[in-house]
Amino acid sequence: MRQLRSLWAGWLPGVLAALGLLGFAVMLFVVLLRSAGTISFSSIDPQTLHVVQFTLYQALLSTILSVGLGLLLAWALAHQPRFRGRSLLIALFSSSLVLPTLVVVFGLIGIYGRNGWINQLLSWVSGHDLGSYLYGLFGILLAHVYLNASFASRAFLHAFESIPQEKYKLAKSLCFGAWQRFWIVEWPSLKQTVWSSAATIFLLCFTSFAIVLILGGSPKYNTIEVAIYEAVKLDFDLPTALKLALIQLALTSVLVLLSSSFRSSITNLKNSTARIIWQESRGIIWLQRGLILLFTLFFVTPLLSIIVEGVDAGLWQIVQRPIFLQALVTSLAVATLSALLTLLLVLVLSSAKRNFDMPTRLGRSPWARLWSLLITLSGNLYLAIPTLVMGLGFFLLALHSALPRTLWAWIAILTANVLMSLPFAMAVIYPQMMKISQRYDKLSFSLGLGRRERFFAVELPYLRGVMAYVFALSFCLSLGDLGIIALFGNESFITLPWYLYGLMGSYQSQDAAGVALVMLLLSVTVFVWITKLFGGRDVTH
Amino acid sequence: MLHIDDLTYAYKKDEPPYRYNMQVDAGEIAAVMGSSGSGKSTLLDLIAGFLQPQEGCICLDGKHLEHLPIEKRGVSILFQNHNLFEHLSVAKNIRLGRKEATDKEIADILEEVGLGGYEKRLASELSGGQQQRVALARVLLRREPILLLDEPFAGLDEQTKSQILNLVREITDRHSLHTVMVTHDPEDAKRIADRRYLMHDHRLVSQ
Repeated sequence: MRQLRSLWAGWLPGVLAALGLLGFAVMLFVVLLRSAGTISFSSIDPQTLHVVQFTLYQALLSTILSVGLGLLLAWALAHQPRFRGRSLLIALFSSSLVLPTLVVVFGLIGIYGRNGWINQLLSWVSGHDLGSYLYGLFGILLAHVYLNASFASRAFLHAFESIPQEKYKLAKSLCFGAWQRFWIVEWPSLKQTVWSSAATIFLLCFTSFAIVLILGGSPKYNTIEVAIYEAVKLDFDLPTALKLALIQLALTSVLVLLSSSFRSSITNLKNSTARIIWQESRGIIWLQRGLILLFTLFFVTPLLSIIVEGVDAGLWQIVQRPIFLQALVTSLAVATLSALLTLLLVLVLSSAKRNFDMPTRLGRSPWARLWSLLITLSGNLYLAIPTLVMGLGFFLLALHSALPRTLWAWIAILTANVLMSLPFAMAVIYPQMMKISQRYDKLSFSLGLGRRERFFAVELPYLRGVMAYVFALSFCLSLGDLGIIALFGNESFITLPWYLYGLMGSYQSQDAAGVALVMLLLSVTVFVWITKLFGGRDVTH
Repeated sequence: MLHIDDLTYAYKKDEPPYRYNMQVDAGEIAAVMGSSGSGKSTLLDLIAGFLQPQEGCICLDGKHLEHLPIEKRGVSILFQNHNLFEHLSVAKNIRLGRKEATDKEIADILEEVGLGGYEKRLASELSGGQQQRVALARVLLRREPILLLDEPFAGLDEQTKSQILNLVREITDRHSLHTVMVTHDPEDAKRIADRRYLMHDHRLVSQ
């Protein structure tokens, strides 16, 4: 019983944290609703209707294209196990998750923009170029596909590689062709991942902000998030911003509920080892290799353009500027604090959820399922409450508060960053905690290990690697985010993404290139270094 | 006769290769025994064509198989698990063996393996023993001369295992199959095998 009693200490902090997060969501809703007291929802004006329609339309198109392309790429990679540089490519495509959105946008402008590499190449070859074709729906889709197809392909590849080798051998012995193999052997194993990834991608594109803000180009291509930003920051039209925020909140809540049955959030996509034995026909081999090469070209060229332009930009002068140093220090502080808070919160939430889910712990107690569900909901709040809506809530609180604006900015940005990282963090930490429990709970309890002993002796060696992964992921996501800062950013509170956005907006391309390169290097270095330095062992080994 | 002569395979260059010699007549069952990782399943992968031997030959009635693609080797395989596609019905799983098979043929074959009337059931609804019977039904429909069994009885209870072993024996006799059975259980081998081989020190030795 001593062990069981010690579990109370394991779930209480998690339950309090979950209640705190859910309470925060309710408070936000009340703040928005109270402020919206005078707004009429009886009729939605055509402009708002257009914004809502376009938001849904671009999210749907982005999802279809990202999933389709990601699936093709994963199929090609799965069946080309000996493709030279395959492991490196897979690691590169997985890194799209930690690439700062704004940096990716900058890289895409470097390739597809008016003075981008494609236009330069066409001018050099034929004397004519394509002019300005990036801004608008094309640019939005391009950036969404760039970030999401590569990320989705990693999840799909994992699903391909989870198919038992016997199934492939059986299919080969039954003389299946490539199509029959896909339809009968692969699709049944892939479809769950495809639907769950599609749901997540749709939600991410639906609430996409930085990409639409920069590549949208005109109000015709505004999404709800950008319209909220413009209403607050440019027009200071708070009633319109509130109306849009409440519409956004209602739509994302419905979407999260609708997709919850097949959305398994984001999986931990660290390893890729399995190899499929199947000798392809020559035509299929060329098709698969061609797909891998084309996607690699699509993925690598924007990163190359950032490096080339960044190196040319006179990096040394840029990094010495006081404003850059101020942005760098603020960004590093924000990212470090966000990552630490995320790690603390995810450990507390996952530990509590595990206690309610494990039959060997409190899984059989009444209300266990309800508590587990509440914790899951609190960890996935970000998907239902978009950043700009959250930002608007904080903005309204700050307006009526005596506290300094900068303090509100810190609270808002840290809250947003932590909530943004939590769904990813939960998806990585919680399954690992469950695996450890399934394997060692009975042994630990029979040995009478206390909570502290269990954590340090049994769990930490297996959690260390995923904790480092979560810290690095959260650090990079926070470092690159241009969300709340767009509402709270000013001369005294400036981060690297906000600084880069300002430079891009004022056409200081050279300086922007330098800052983009620093952000790219910082993200990749931190991610690779931290995950390598603290890499732990897998519980299945 | 299935004749395997000095068949050699090494996974890595610096490792000693596995070496196989064996014979199986039509209507015979050859059991291959040995400890885990001794190279038993590698032999089946070589016969089926999932691996290419470095040396040696695999001949069926004088015809060399080692350079033929998998689909032309005349091989049916049964694994311990994953022999069926769970989302398909029993009939659809069997028809994958020969697309032009009629409903009557499938019904007759299911009758032969003791599962008459199971055509419309989903594979996922069947027990382990029933799934192995369906897989054997597909083997019968394919009418391939070589049957490879990769420990397909390992997860079954004694009674079910005994029934399936008898069924394999019957099928091999009736359809003159060349059956190669990998097993770690000497009792299984004693019960139905005509020839017994043991993997020892990277070599297949006749017992």
